[in-house]
Amino acid sequence: MTRQQILTWTQRNGLFFALVLLIAIFSFASSRFLTVPNMTVILLQNAVIGLIVVPGAMLILCGLVDLSVGSIAVLAAVVFGQAMDSGFGLPVSMLLGLGVGMLWGAFNGYLIAILGFSPIIITLGGLAGARGLAEFITQGFTTYGYGPQFALLGNGKLLGVPVPIILFLIVLAIGLHLWYRAPLGRHMIAIGGAKDTAAELGIPVKLVPFWLYVASGLASALGGLIVASQLDGAAVTIGTGMELEVLTAILLGGVSFTGGRGSLFGVFFGLLFVGVLSNGLIQINVSPYVEQVAIGAALCGAAALDMLYQRLERLQVPVEREPNEPVAQGTGGSQ
Amino acid sequence: MNTAEAKPAVLELRGLSKSFGPVHAVKSVSLSIYPGEVIGLVGDNGAGKSTLTRMMAGTIRPDTGDIVVAGEKQTFESAQDARRAGVETVFQTLALVPGLDIVENIFLGRELLASGPLGAVTRTMDVAAMRRRVQEGYERFGLGLPDIRTKVAGLSGGQRQVVAIARAVLWGSRIVVLDEPTAALGVKQTELVLSFIEQLRSHNVAVVFISHNMQHVMRVADRVCVLRLGRKVFDGQMSALTGTDLVALMTGAATAVEQVAAAG
Repeated sequence: MTRQQILTWTQRNGLFFALVLLIAIFSFASSRFLTVPNMTVILLQNAVIGLIVVPGAMLILCGLVDLSVGSIAVLAAVVFGQAMDSGFGLPVSMLLGLGVGMLWGAFNGYLIAILGFSPIIITLGGLAGARGLAEFITQGFTTYGYGPQFALLGNGKLLGVPVPIILFLIVLAIGLHLWYRAPLGRHMIAIGGAKDTAAELGIPVKLVPFWLYVASGLASALGGLIVASQLDGAAVTIGTGMELEVLTAILLGGVSFTGGRGSLFGVFFGLLFVGVLSNGLIQINVSPYVEQVAIGAALCGAAALDMLYQRLERLQVPVEREPNEPVAQGTGGSQ
Repeated sequence: MNTAEAKPAVLELRGLSKSFGPVHAVKSVSLSIYPGEVIGLVGDNGAGKSTLTRMMAGTIRPDTGDIVVAGEKQTFESAQDARRAGVETVFQTLALVPGLDIVENIFLGRELLASGPLGAVTRTMDVAAMRRRVQEGYERFGLGLPDIRTKVAGLSGGQRQVVAIARAVLWGSRIVVLDEPTAALGVKQTELVLSFIEQLRSHNVAVVFISHNMQHVMRVADRVCVLRLGRKVFDGQMSALTGTDLVALMTGAATAVEQVAAAG
């Protein structure tokens, strides 16, 4: 292997090995860590974030961001709760909740992708606005008690696997297909890395991000409903800080915040890394306050490593530094 | 008449004119381009080279005159129209995405999908077929490029230029317009691009080579068209001219009549 190949290989698989190492350390430190029930708990605790991470990572690959995910989640839960209280019935209420998420996503997408507003400003507005709207609708009161059928969404199991994990795996599978096997993956890299070129080649540089925002809104709403189901209540605290957890997994997974570079497998490992780290630290009785510090440190470490890799990569590019031909324009060829 | 001109022209410009306000950028320029021929389009700054190029590329519309591709009159409303008609223009910006590899760039925006209804519904790409097509292209044109899965970010300027030209040719384009393909390239890189252009000639592709580097034009062009102040002042075989003659024509120090007389 050449040095370049070693670099690429470690860059691609570094996070995976960090994850394996982390699991090894925790397994050694606590006998309860590497057990099927505990692994299921880790997946379950991260399934909701995982759902939202998939379209979120695609947006970042396109050079965009959605900070409004947590607020869309609570708004969807609250709209669902109000609809249930008004007697719309379970299916209609769920559709209303999901619909409100898609609508907010379409609103984000229209302003950002079609009209060209700043993604940070618009979705930061959504972060405040959607949660504010949820609080206004409920006046701060939590509605609760949606019956056993709705409880299945958050607490049910299919063949022994919790429903949220199944939903997450379905979304992940669709995401992986689109990222690696469909033209969309390449188009997103082109949009995030060289938007003008992408447009010149006929790639829908506005519609792709638009639909990604709609997908992000839908995934956030689904996440909100899952949490509401687990709590059996549409609490106004649902989704608080969710945007940061989503971003942490994506950036830890190595997706460039400026767009055009990243892998969804990496993001999946980033998500698991955060999940394993939080769970493992609790298992070995480390203060929960330290957990946040550890995640922060991991993120900074990943950013530093990424910078290092980019520097090394740049050195590897065989730039031929020859002097330009000593012929001035227009006078060449005259002997 | 040489053998190339015995075939019908693959691209004909008939009396193209374009003005921008009071500036007559191109004044009634006619030019015929034949398959398997490299034609150098030269001229000093402001001679109308880039306006003419952009009319062929479909990015600006001529005020008067016709563009005829393979005997059919065409009206280019956009760059896509020109591409569809078989005229591919490679601008200096190259339109490559550094974060994608060579195959991904060549098929960007026109990816091949797996055959059958499943491929169409799930939008599954036929990655193997795309790689195979590019590999075949490497062999057919003897491309001196790194592995087909190398990211464009890792290629040199000359290699990127070759990828951009190869994309046009691999898509079956019979007419390739190259806008200053050797500008800002070093000696070795220039050689890579020029030898690829020579390869194209033997594959019956018509190449319009726009440059103001005389050495490069003299090296690859069979025929040369000199523009000066928006008009075509010379159109003839490269072999009849020396570099000094070309410069004289470009700067207006000599007229075509004198040149032809001298050459004849």
